[in-house]
Amino acid sequence: MKVVALILNTFRELLAKATLIILAIISTLILIGVALAVSTSTGPDGVTLLLFGGQATPPLPPENIGMLLQPLKLGLAGGLFTGIILFGVFATAGIIPDALEKGTVDLYLSKPIHRWELLLGKQLGAVFAIFLNIIYFIGALCVIFGLRLGVWDFSFLLSGLSMAFMFACFFSLVVFTGVVSRSTAISIIVAFLYLFVFGSLLESRQTTLYRISEGTIYRAVLDGLYYIFPQVNAMQSNVMKQITSQPMDWVPFLQSFLSGVALFGAGAFVMQRRDF
Amino acid sequence: MHAITSDSLSKTYTSGVVRRREVPALKDFSIAVEPGQIFSLLGPNGAGKTTFIKILLSLTHPSGGEASMLGKKLPDTAVKTRIGYLPENHRYPAYLTGEQVLHLFGRLSGVRPSELDSRITPLLELVGMNQWRTMKVKRYSKGMMQRIGLAQALVNNPDLLFLDEPTDGVDPVGRKEIRDILIRLKHEGKTIFLNSHLLSEVELISDRVAILDKGTLLRVGTVDELTSTGSLYQIGFSGIVPEALLTEAAATVMRITVKNDMLTAELQTIQELNRLIDLLRKHNVDITSVVKQRTSLEESFISLIKREVAS
Repeated sequence: MKVVALILNTFRELLAKATLIILAIISTLILIGVALAVSTSTGPDGVTLLLFGGQATPPLPPENIGMLLQPLKLGLAGGLFTGIILFGVFATAGIIPDALEKGTVDLYLSKPIHRWELLLGKQLGAVFAIFLNIIYFIGALCVIFGLRLGVWDFSFLLSGLSMAFMFACFFSLVVFTGVVSRSTAISIIVAFLYLFVFGSLLESRQTTLYRISEGTIYRAVLDGLYYIFPQVNAMQSNVMKQITSQPMDWVPFLQSFLSGVALFGAGAFVMQRRDF
Repeated sequence: MHAITSDSLSKTYTSGVVRRREVPALKDFSIAVEPGQIFSLLGPNGAGKTTFIKILLSLTHPSGGEASMLGKKLPDTAVKTRIGYLPENHRYPAYLTGEQVLHLFGRLSGVRPSELDSRITPLLELVGMNQWRTMKVKRYSKGMMQRIGLAQALVNNPDLLFLDEPTDGVDPVGRKEIRDILIRLKHEGKTIFLNSHLLSEVELISDRVAILDKGTLLRVGTVDELTSTGSLYQIGFSGIVPEALLTEAAATVMRITVKNDMLTAELQTIQELNRLIDLLRKHNVDITSVVKQRTSLEESFISLIKREVAS
């Protein structure tokens, strides 16, 4: 019950910060754009997908119209995945340093809650807020595709769960950095550095970083670092596979989950040892 | 069972990465607080008062010693369901209203939502904040923050209440109201542990007082014990005290002075006081008052701290 109270309070905090509202507004504008842009035209040769009134695909049998949508879904889901990770981190990174501020943390920790519960409530609150945004966007897309194109495919919604899962795992890095540094700016910088620099370098380590040295320890450290952090790119590929109904690779799910748990645990450990 | 016990509790903070510096905040601090009392911890800034509370509430880890609250050896998370805490310089989430603050911290204290609904309005009325319950706390004045903070500390109906500078920023009328609330809570059987710089207020409501300086406990006792000068009496009189009386009294009384219509004498026993009164009456001096002289808690506190600095 106490963690639920923290989750709801974090959701309220994020609403008050307005960044979540801005994310919802951006999502709404994109949805309106999609709703206005896509339509179909039925002719003697089949159904044609129209984008902004122009023919986007050759005529196809009506039962294949769902396939026509796949590139659009992939583009939107890919954009949403990146947007959610970037904007989500930006919108929520402050919740841990804010909770650990002098005068605030005293109030929380004077209550009968464990320190890790405070972190968990904050993390789940952030994930819940981002999840609602994802479901709003993807759910509305499903409805738009259904109403405008007659394609009712709610399996697209499942990709939203994968995105929220990825965000939850990645957010553990933000929690850990937030606990250690108690700084929103540092949390955001570390998250973005990982996303744009270290994550990509570690993923492509066999063709890039391995060239620096052939030492086994060096390479083991690189491998270790790769597995410590959530597999953002591999998860994005999985989301794409999910949308196109291809079999997914479950290893990145497991790795991301374990790294999320490990980073959260490390954050909780640092938090537990700290004097406030 | 004591409400609070601490046995040789100590805390040393370390700072600096390259050159580690150790700052002792609490040294072998041992006290026992009886239930149903208002116990005040006094001391100058940096004396270790807040550190002590933070150790009890597991906000800070002790470097040594042990403590217990309400019979539970610390650290103990569950015992906090029976604790209320108003920290110094508290910061409530700015996006919440006063009512929402009580809801949030009530739920975190383990109070059921249904129970909270019936508890919040009387609490807001108690601290005089009912009319501002729907206002965001970021718009509250310092005094209003203290009031809502007190309500927050009481939201779980605690047995033991920690208040760190509860009247800080509160106007005199508000301070009196808070004092009255604390006395009422004491009569309900609650134990109140108070940290305050306002010694005149502490003197008015505290049952026992401890004085702490640089992490060391200097004195602990009742307000009477700390403010009593021991053996100094002032005897008011009308008329003239003859010189012979003073000579006769000086033989048995350690120190005796007369100024205007007031005779001040340092006496060891109540028998000595009675003998002096007999002597005055024998010389036909009319006694108008007999008062055992006291200092204020503030004077006592300052002299104790000065002595400590000097030593």
